[in-house]
Amino acid sequence: MKNKLLVIINDIRRAKNQPVVDDLHENDNLRSDLGLTSFDLAELTVRVEDEFDIDIFEDGLVNTVGEILKKLEK
Amino acid sequence: MIDGGKSYSYSALLQSINADDYFPLLKTTDLFSYFSNLVKALANNRSLTLLDSDLNQAELKGMDENLVNAKEKVSTIDFSSMVDVIDAVKNSNSRVTIFTSGTTGQPKKISHDVQTLTRSVRQGGKYADHIWGYAYNPTHMAGIQVFFQAFMNKNVIVNVFNRSRHEIYEMVDKYSITHLSATPTFYRLLLPMEKTCTSVQRVTLGGEKSDEHLYQAIRAIFPSAKINNVYASTEAGSLFASKGDCFQLPAANRDKFKIMDGELLIHRSLLGCSNSLALDGDFYHSGDLIEWVNQQEGLFRFKGRKNELINVGGYKINPEEVETMLNSIEGIRQSVVYGKANSVIGNILCADILLEQTVKMTELDIRQLLNGKLQDYKIPRRIRFVESISVTRTGKLKRT
Repeated sequence: MKNKLLVIINDIRRAKNQPVVDDLHENDNLRSDLGLTSFDLAELTVRVEDEFDIDIFEDGLVNTVGEILKKLEK
Repeated sequence: MIDGGKSYSYSALLQSINADDYFPLLKTTDLFSYFSNLVKALANNRSLTLLDSDLNQAELKGMDENLVNAKEKVSTIDFSSMVDVIDAVKNSNSRVTIFTSGTTGQPKKISHDVQTLTRSVRQGGKYADHIWGYAYNPTHMAGIQVFFQAFMNKNVIVNVFNRSRHEIYEMVDKYSITHLSATPTFYRLLLPMEKTCTSVQRVTLGGEKSDEHLYQAIRAIFPSAKINNVYASTEAGSLFASKGDCFQLPAANRDKFKIMDGELLIHRSLLGCSNSLALDGDFYHSGDLIEWVNQQEGLFRFKGRKNELINVGGYKINPEEVETMLNSIEGIRQSVVYGKANSVIGNILCADILLEQTVKMTELDIRQLLNGKLQDYKIPRRIRFVESISVTRTGKLKRT
């Protein structure tokens, strides 16, 4: 699951000509550590929903990789 | 007139006009019966409503369905020649009711007098030999304008609306079409170029935003043609002459136009009659977004439609701006940009892309190319590659 999330995040970074990240950490902040803008986050929700059928922003904002993983594990 | 392999002469038209009945509310796919009914009504000072052949029941709301395609007797004037008919149409006191295309909700009803519909028609010797490729829906403003221009000069009309690319090239050649008037979408669908068409002398674009990339393609397909633009609306008819890719407000009645928040406002005196047009004082909000090229000379460029702006995270995005950028990428034939509802930012920007036949491109390639050319929020976040792009009833791009 973490790997799939890594692929999605790297796809978004690559489209903006940003270098890919090798690994995700639970405490990584989506904005400050992974450099995602709100437009990127919107894209992330769509791609995660395509993959896992879960809307990660359904009940409010998530800020870290760990929070996303927790939603996906439910 | 040539339509679907059949041809009709102006004397056949005269004969049909001198027959007894007409249809105040005709719904037909047959272009000749449609036009002969229109001319017959106008020449006899009868009013009529123009209906799309595919108009459905919901869109007909408020109209008595039993009246659709019901004949009405007219004791017709016996015309001895087309010249008399054309004169009668010019001086007709009929009113013609048409509908907006209704891409954003219920179609609106607008009624015009014949003089408004024909005000941009030019007649005379030098217009006599024109052969028109008819590329518009005949029940909407642009199609009506082209019809009157051709009819009042007794020109040949070749119906090319809704034909495939290959058929259009064939027909232009076979009938030596000299004049084409169509939406930018129509011309984009002629790409990739099959061959050059030297018979065409004039290419007119209207109804949507066009761009330099498209002009280049048109110049290649129609090397002998002059290119111009028209601005016409269902509400007001033909309004502006073009100057290159710009339009100019006519000096004589410049006070009949206002620009508010980039939107063009038109004075009520230039409009047809309708109950469904909301006026702001004496002005009507056209919904067309424009930018000044030279405000003093009244020179402006068409930017897009206000109701098509997509709200992405509080930014209003003009899909036509993004499409223009996409279409300028080598290998992309055509694109459609639209919004998809999203819980984070309201809408997420999406694009459907039609590639040139032999081109291989990925979503990543396109987004990397756009990076730095468009601001982050204007870059589509979902790109689908499609085999075909749909158009509306009036031949414009359909944004889903």
